[in-house]
Order: sequence, then structure tokens, then C-alpha cells
Amino acid sequence: MIVGHTRGSSFRARQLDEHSRSSWLGRIDPRAKLIGVLCFIAVAALLTKPDLVIAALACSIIFASISKIPLRHIARAYAATLPFILLASVSVFLFTGWENGATMLARTSSCTLPLIVLVSGTETFELFSGLRRLHVPALLTSLLMLAHRYVFLLSDELSRMTVARKARGFSGGKSLLDRYGLRVISNTAGMVLVRASDRADRVFEGLRSRGFDTEMYVWRESRFGRSGVSFVVCFAAASAFLISFQLGVIG
Amino acid sequence: MHIPDGLMDPTVAFLGWAEFVLVLAGSLWFARRRISERDLPRVALLCAGIFVAQMVNFPIGGGTTGHLIGGALFAVLVGPSIAIAGMTVVVLIQALMFGDGGIAALGLNALNMAVIAPLTGWGVYTMLIQLLGKQGTLSKGMALAAGAWASVFVASAACAAELAVSYAVSAGRYGIGAPISIPAMLGFHAVIGLGEAIITVGVMSYLSSVAPNAFVLRKRTVGAIAARIGVLNSPILLATLAVLLVFALSIPLYLVYASEGKDGLEQTMDRSGTEMDEPLLESPFSYGQNFFTMLFAGILGFLLVSLLSIGTMRLLGLASGRDGST
Repeated sequence: MIVGHTRGSSFRARQLDEHSRSSWLGRIDPRAKLIGVLCFIAVAALLTKPDLVIAALACSIIFASISKIPLRHIARAYAATLPFILLASVSVFLFTGWENGATMLARTSSCTLPLIVLVSGTETFELFSGLRRLHVPALLTSLLMLAHRYVFLLSDELSRMTVARKARGFSGGKSLLDRYGLRVISNTAGMVLVRASDRADRVFEGLRSRGFDTEMYVWRESRFGRSGVSFVVCFAAASAFLISFQLGVIG
Repeated sequence: MHIPDGLMDPTVAFLGWAEFVLVLAGSLWFARRRISERDLPRVALLCAGIFVAQMVNFPIGGGTTGHLIGGALFAVLVGPSIAIAGMTVVVLIQALMFGDGGIAALGLNALNMAVIAPLTGWGVYTMLIQLLGKQGTLSKGMALAAGAWASVFVASAACAAELAVSYAVSAGRYGIGAPISIPAMLGFHAVIGLGEAIITVGVMSYLSSVAPNAFVLRKRTVGAIAARIGVLNSPILLATLAVLLVFALSIPLYLVYASEGKDGLEQTMDRSGTEMDEPLLESPFSYGQNFFTMLFAGILGFLLVSLLSIGTMRLLGLASGRDGST
């Protein structure tokens, strides 16, 4: 019964899910999407031959472009992960030359893009319920679902506290020797936790009133169906093709 | 410290997943017995709180900032088993919803930030608090600061080692070379660890003055469960085991990197033409020649040393249970 409560009305949480309704991905069973995409990512991360890495990147770009998720949204999400990807690629480039650096950039991107598409094309709670239906432990998925909902509530509170701090002239401190600055930052982090704790009892009463029993129930039953099977088969075939070339079974 | 997909050698990434799943299964077993139905939203809110607290940047100097990891804070507040489950949730949300860290590398990311950081932080804190005395605010603060600093430093050392081993075993196709990864990660995180220590102590002192019972869970603690099992009834022993477990997690990674060449003494004996005589005592075990026999020998050695250490501590009266189970 967690879903009923945690779906709530957070605007930002809804914003995250807006593209799942416009994309055909939203109609596929979450288990099929998780199995297919995670299988492809695991294989793409294994590839070392540059031409295969380029092929995996091409598959990822095709998947992103046919998903009907706005390219601007995908590009924005990819840009957020780019610093981590570039750090790895540049250090490999400095050590072992441009070819390995470029392969690293392409390989990391071919893993990141399908994940962005999967997350954008699936409602968050469907994704978590998919994990539960794939037998991820209930404690973990229940915590995931509740924590994801509260991240937005608490980050809104943090934003309000940050504005209040700025209004009182605090600019973020100077260094680790700035005792006043660090005390203000510690108190802010502490306040986030205290407010979280204050909210916990009210949350529990709300959950109990909706029949909470720690298990996760979906509000919309989905079946694997033909679309799910086709999705898994497509991704499994692409993954099998790539790994066969990598291991020298074909070619 | 979030590793993206495609950066790590597949063997290293697989080992990370295997170790993480094993530790997570154990911690969920303990956590299920500690978290009551009423506590579930509280723990979830703490996960969200730690996630949001990671957004609070603190100044390091020279215009650079760092942010809280929160593993030690989480573990000291609610215990290591729940902290491992909770930090796993934080890392999962970061990877799935915000693209912070990859899926193939999730095992390693979770191992570093959700297992090694809380276990080290809690282990060092618990050990020091027993040694320095539980009552004084100063000793509590020092133990907490040391635990928080160690959690960041050891987690970053693990990350640097994973990058270096990936680079070495893949001949440069994956990972980052040790000359860059180790000094950069350790140097940067030694300073970030200072910030983590100051903020963690600040948050805990704020919590103890404003809401001392905010995160007290209602069910019995791991210490009480361990006391019922009858072997681990001492906080010092539990803390020692937590730190030993962190070392044990490095065994498979070390074996991947281990050289098959001769050690210093064997080289010297070779050069001087000295031959080895027959041993006086034939050992029942050997390290073996492949990864799995060496791994088996490593695990067996770890268990024997742990049991011997526990026995010695009991004989010396350091872990007789009179220091009180938590």
C-alpha cells in the first residue's frame, strides 16, 4: 500500500515521469524493460573492440531516438553525467592514447544512454515495482519507494533553508578553517534530519490509514505480454550479437 | 566517487557485484529484525535526509567544495546493518534516477559508499568510544570525527585500488593508472574527510541537543541479537569484525592483481643459488595455483585469524561482555 501514499502530489516527482506517458516505452511491462536494458548495459560494459563499442553506441542512439522521449531531455540528462564520463575518458587518453580514450567515452556513453531512456520512459513507481516483481527484497524496494518520494520533499525544505540562510547574509563559508561557516552548514544538515524525523510519525499514521503492511502493491496491473517479450528479444539479440563478436564466436 | 559504466574491468565489476550482494543479503537479514513497521518511514526519511545532506556542499578552500557522504553518520545513528541497506537505497536512487554512477559499476559503487564507508565509520567510532570512554563529549566527538574521516578515506582508497587494478589487469583498456588514481583520490579525499568529520560531529551535536531521540529505533539492536547468538556479545568485537570485514572485502580484488612472480626472499635465494630444504612440517593446505583456490585459502586464513583474535581478546578479558552490549 506504499504506492497510494507515496504517489502523493509532489510536482517535481511528477515532472520526472512526464515523458513515460508520451513514449511507447510506458506501455511495456517494467520487468521486460529492466531485463532487456540491464542485459544490454552489462554486455556494453564488457566490450573492448572499438568497432563493437561503436556498434553498441549506435544501438543506444537508435533506442534513444525511436523512444519518442524528447531529445532535449535526454541530452540534458546525459550532460549531467558527462563530467564523470569525461574524467574517466581523459585520464585513459592521457595514459594510453586517443584510441583507448575515445573507446572509453563511447563505451560509457553506450551504457548511460539506455539507462536514461529506461528511467525517462518508465514511471518511477512502476520501475520500483518492477524491481520488486523481479524478487528484489521487499525491505529494499519499500525503502526505495518511500525514500525517492521524500527526497523531493526534503530537497524543497533544503532550498527554503538555503534561501533563508542567504537572506541572513550567509554565503557558504570560506574554507575548512571557517568555524562559523561549518557550524551553519552542520546545523542545516542536522535540521534536514530533524525535520525528516518529525515527519516520520505523521507519515506512518498516513500509511496506516491506507492499510500499510510494508509490501508494495501496484495500482495498475501489467502483464509481460507480447510487447514485453518482443522488447526483451530485441535487446537480448543485440546483446548476444555484440558479445559473440567480442568473444570471437562469430567473425 | 561515483564510478560510471564502462570504466571498470568486467572481472573487477563482477567481483564488486558478488561481494556487494553477499554483504547486502547479510545486512538485510539483520535489518529486517531491527526495523519495525513503524520505523520503515523513519529509515526511508533518513535515507532521503542523507541524500539531501549530500547536496550540502562545504568549502575546502581555494574555491573548491566537497560534500558529505554520510556513511558514518548513518551507521552511528541507526547501526551498520540498517546503514548498509539505507546507503544502498541512496546509491540506487542516484544511479537509477539521476545517472550518478553506472549500473554495471553499481556493485562497486555500493561496495565503496554503502558497505565500506558505514562499516569503517561505525567500526572506528565504536572501537574508539570504548577505548576513550563513553561519557565525555570530547571523547565522543573525537571518536565520531575519526570514524567519519576514516569512512571517507578508506572508501576512496578502495575506489582508487579498484581503478588501479582495473587498469593493470586490462592493460590500460579500463580503469585509471595507479600513479594518477591513488594520489589523486587519496589526496583529495583526505581533505574532504576532514570536512566530513567536522560536519558529522556538528550534525550529531545538533541532533543530540535538539532531538536526541529522533532516530532511536524501537526494536532490539544488532548487539542484542548477537548476544543471543552467544558469540558476539561485545561492542569491541563487533567493531573489530566490521573493520576486518572491510579488509576481507579486498581479498578477491587483491588476488586478481596478485603477481605470479617470486617474492623478494625467493629472488635473493635464486640469485645466490640457495636451494630450499625439505620442510620440517608439511602443511595440510596450500595457496593453490588458480584464483578460486587462492580465494578459498584467503577466506580460510581470514576466518582462522578472526577466530584466533576473538579467542585472544576473550582470554585477555577485553571482550568479556562486561563492556555492555548496545
